[in-house]
Amino acid sequence: MREKETTLYFGPQHPGITGNMMVKLKVAGDTIVKAETHVGYLHRAFEKLMERRTWMQSFPIVCRICVPEPDPNEENLARAVEEIEGREVPERAKYIRVMVLELSRLAAYFLWMGGQSGTAGLYTVPQWSVGDRDYILDLFEELTGGRIYHMYIWAGGVRRDLPEGFADKVLKTMDYIESRLPEYDKLMFDNAIFQKRAQGIGVIDKDKALEWGVVGPPLRGCGIKHDVRKDEPYEVYDKLDFVVPTYEGGDIWARAMVRRKEMEQSISIIRQVIEKMPGGEYYNKVPTPLNWFVPPGEAYVKTESARGEFGYYVVSDGSLKPRRVHVRGPAYVHGVSLLENILVGANISDVAMIMNSLGVCPPEIER
Amino acid sequence: MDKDFINENKTIEEIKNTFHSAEAKLQRKNRIIVKLRSDLIPPFLSYAKNYLSFDHLAHFSCVDWIEDNQFELVYILYSYEKNIIAIVKTRIDREKAEFVTVKHLWRQAETFEREFHEMYGINFTGNNRLTEFILEDWDDIPPMRRDFDTMQYSKENFYTRPGREDAQDVREVITKKSGEKIPDFAKEFSVRKLK
Repeated sequence: MREKETTLYFGPQHPGITGNMMVKLKVAGDTIVKAETHVGYLHRAFEKLMERRTWMQSFPIVCRICVPEPDPNEENLARAVEEIEGREVPERAKYIRVMVLELSRLAAYFLWMGGQSGTAGLYTVPQWSVGDRDYILDLFEELTGGRIYHMYIWAGGVRRDLPEGFADKVLKTMDYIESRLPEYDKLMFDNAIFQKRAQGIGVIDKDKALEWGVVGPPLRGCGIKHDVRKDEPYEVYDKLDFVVPTYEGGDIWARAMVRRKEMEQSISIIRQVIEKMPGGEYYNKVPTPLNWFVPPGEAYVKTESARGEFGYYVVSDGSLKPRRVHVRGPAYVHGVSLLENILVGANISDVAMIMNSLGVCPPEIER
Repeated sequence: MDKDFINENKTIEEIKNTFHSAEAKLQRKNRIIVKLRSDLIPPFLSYAKNYLSFDHLAHFSCVDWIEDNQFELVYILYSYEKNIIAIVKTRIDREKAEFVTVKHLWRQAETFEREFHEMYGINFTGNNRLTEFILEDWDDIPPMRRDFDTMQYSKENFYTRPGREDAQDVREVITKKSGEKIPDFAKEFSVRKLK
């Protein structure tokens, strides 16, 4: 006999994601038969706003597209404008940008660890990881003046040079974070509860992953070795030594292990950046922002964010304002077409786990 | 110089040989731009995916060229094998905005098409899920069209907070209330003065 189907509204407030997004579930018993993503709770029309603002005024807007990790947005817009304009960026600024991007990746992974283990019922990890993330936010505060939204990377370089003694503070924080990782292993990754909840759940089909537009840790969790930092090195990633970790399985566990290994790589990258960072200029000055005409042209640039390929398609018509800035966040694909598909057959209690492992961030979907 | 772009130039040649009317050119390393007639887009995308290994639909964008009365649809494809991004562009009529879906090639295209249906009013035939996506109960013209005036819309639909009817400059209000002097640069660079 066919079980009666019930509709379950999961969200918009729930532990699965950072932000508000609703998933309408059709369930039979506690198994999901159909899932539909509903967004629109965080739509602030950033892309429309940017069409009415100058290029410089767009920079404080784009960072708001992703709360856990705003820097790839700034870097993408900056690089797109530089590509259209043909503007050179000083070497020192490129190293500083990589440092900021990797710090923000670490901060995003700490937030993810909190969310992921929180959804599995391990409530100590969020307390720890949010606390440790704060040490990185302290660094951001000293460097940029802002803890969450930095507005630091802009066209031509970065907004200011490193404060005195900043490099030592970064290295100290890295040592601290590195010493904490084994503790997280004990508490989260080696924990039987987490392993039981993560292994074999939310599996992405390896053969279909590329075609479905899966990127970032979920792709590498399928055992496919692709990373924008290696495929199309931007800034100074081609001068740095790091590996791209992969893991087989395509489940929540595989994605968690990829992220765990990437944290070590990020720490190593930050150390290399600080060691190799040259002196000199940090900003190739743009004209007065109110009189800054970007020549006509278009560019598609992409960054490897903590959740995968983050792309910007920017079109300029030669005026003071952007013609079009279109954002491609990894969650646009992960949170709608992919999520709707892999939720089918899952258990209701695993929905939040699966969403978190994909890194769904609704502001990227609706922008 | 050409040695650096062997892969890119080879792909461009292949495209030109198969689609004679396609305008394909190199943009920079790892980037090619292909311009096509709109009726050739579905066969071209299918060809690019199956024969040129462009298996990843990285992005799908729409630009409103209101002065030409056209929408530009931009498919951004990526080939993991060749490590090339192809920016495939076509223009469609803005008044009678209709196009065909490509969700049978990449199912994530469905989401993009839903968004463009809502934001630009483009109807994608073959996509049966062009339902409400981001907006709720929207009854004005599609908001991402360039002729949609955000300022006028907000004036018509929202009221000003009491005490702010004349849209005063916040800085002037602060000066009046506290007697605090504003530094000159704030006035120098205020947007209002620009006009």
